[in-house]
Amino acid sequence: MDSVIEYLPLLLQGLRTTLLLAVSTAVLGLALGMLLALAKLSRHGWLRAPVFAITNFLRGIPEFLVLLVIYFGGTQLLGALLPGAGLEMGPFAAGLTALTLVFGAYASETFRAAFLSVPKGQIEAGRAYGFNAWQCFRHIQLPQIWRVAIPGLGNLWQGSVKDTALVSIVGLDDLMRKSSQAAQSTREPFTFYLVASLMFLVITVVSMWIIAALERRASRGMTEMR
Amino acid sequence: MSAADNTRNGQAALEVRDLRKSFGEHEVLKGISLTARDRDVVAILGSSGSGKSTFLRCINLLEMPSGGEVRVKGELIEMTTRRGRPAPASMKQVDRIRAKLAMVFQQFNLWQHMTVLENVTAGQIHVLGRSKAEAVEKAEAMLAKVGVAEKRGHYPSQLSGGQQQRVAIARALAMDPEVMLFDEPTSALDPELVNEVLRVMRGLAEEGRTMLVVTHEIGFAREAANRVMFLHQGLVEDEGEPRALLANPNSERFRQFLSGSLK
Repeated sequence: MDSVIEYLPLLLQGLRTTLLLAVSTAVLGLALGMLLALAKLSRHGWLRAPVFAITNFLRGIPEFLVLLVIYFGGTQLLGALLPGAGLEMGPFAAGLTALTLVFGAYASETFRAAFLSVPKGQIEAGRAYGFNAWQCFRHIQLPQIWRVAIPGLGNLWQGSVKDTALVSIVGLDDLMRKSSQAAQSTREPFTFYLVASLMFLVITVVSMWIIAALERRASRGMTEMR
Repeated sequence: MSAADNTRNGQAALEVRDLRKSFGEHEVLKGISLTARDRDVVAILGSSGSGKSTFLRCINLLEMPSGGEVRVKGELIEMTTRRGRPAPASMKQVDRIRAKLAMVFQQFNLWQHMTVLENVTAGQIHVLGRSKAEAVEKAEAMLAKVGVAEKRGHYPSQLSGGQQQRVAIARALAMDPEVMLFDEPTSALDPELVNEVLRVMRGLAEEGRTMLVVTHEIGFAREAANRVMFLHQGLVEDEGEPRALLANPNSERFRQFLSGSLK
């Protein structure tokens, strides 16, 4: 127990990095997912086809591989694009890029399905009353997709929080890496991996409450179907 | 609605000329013309597949007409051709004109995520640019008029079909439309709910609203309309003053249609 108290500041530092990475991934991933979903729903085949191909590719390979390709390939690519600038792909940037790409790819499918679930008549009523395409999107489609999308996005978030642990392998000082350092120095792996597990569990349980509350909020008007 | 009298002899509220629509090879509308002056109530009858709903939906461009002209208060909806298909020249103009042609749908199409009050204020705020206070005041008056004022805080899913359709009519009225388009407004309702909606529509006809009503309700056509149009296979098969025409149709097909629907 003493060793846990001794290493707690270190672990909390790692927790901070983990949370920062997870939240940044979610924010950027949601934005990317929405853009990709709109591209997939586009009338233009030249836009749809490549986006489907890329997202299927990203969903079809292990996240870990995406991370390694970005981490090792990223530095090479930056060197080739901006020779002499001495830019390197750091572990945080690599982790954020890889997890955002994967999150965005999955989220695009969630959003796409949610857009398709809004009955055509809802949009038609908007058009018939003089709403332009943007107003229809903003005031009619967007508020209605969350009800369908939130459970799926919640799952993505939970997965993404846990996937941050992978980034420790390329050297990110996250909760995973800090706890494994503590485990090695103290030779108490069971204790420290258990503490790390509990910390992850707290994040995911709290997230579940928040997601459930958001889901209730987004379902207003839908809950009392006759 | 006495103001409407002043324009009685001026521009027609709605003028449709030689409207055509094809879906691929299939020609659904083969050239339909219609002039509705202010305060006209035109009932559009026809069996399913006659093109009557398509006709209504081509007027506000929910379906893109393949040919013909639509004028609202004298203003022509400008059309052009894009990649070989007919398209509006200016979406801005279309949006502006659509706001003058409020539509009531068969399936109500109330926005599910908005309360009754929000459904009736949204178009006023986002399309007409009215202030929220102004829109709420107008919405409350219209909801009271159709008899659902006490449901203002409810969501559509909490209402009966008849109540939803009356809210949809209030949503249309709140836009102060030049012409109201009703697309089979009672066809999706349980039989016992049809009358509450028809009663509201009769009231609107009496106060001089300009209405195009696609319907199967012969009684409504006879008593509330001042003109009846019978469509068959994409053409106007018969047309005239309701009482005379319904009692004694010119067209044999219309006669058959009426005897079928009176069974």
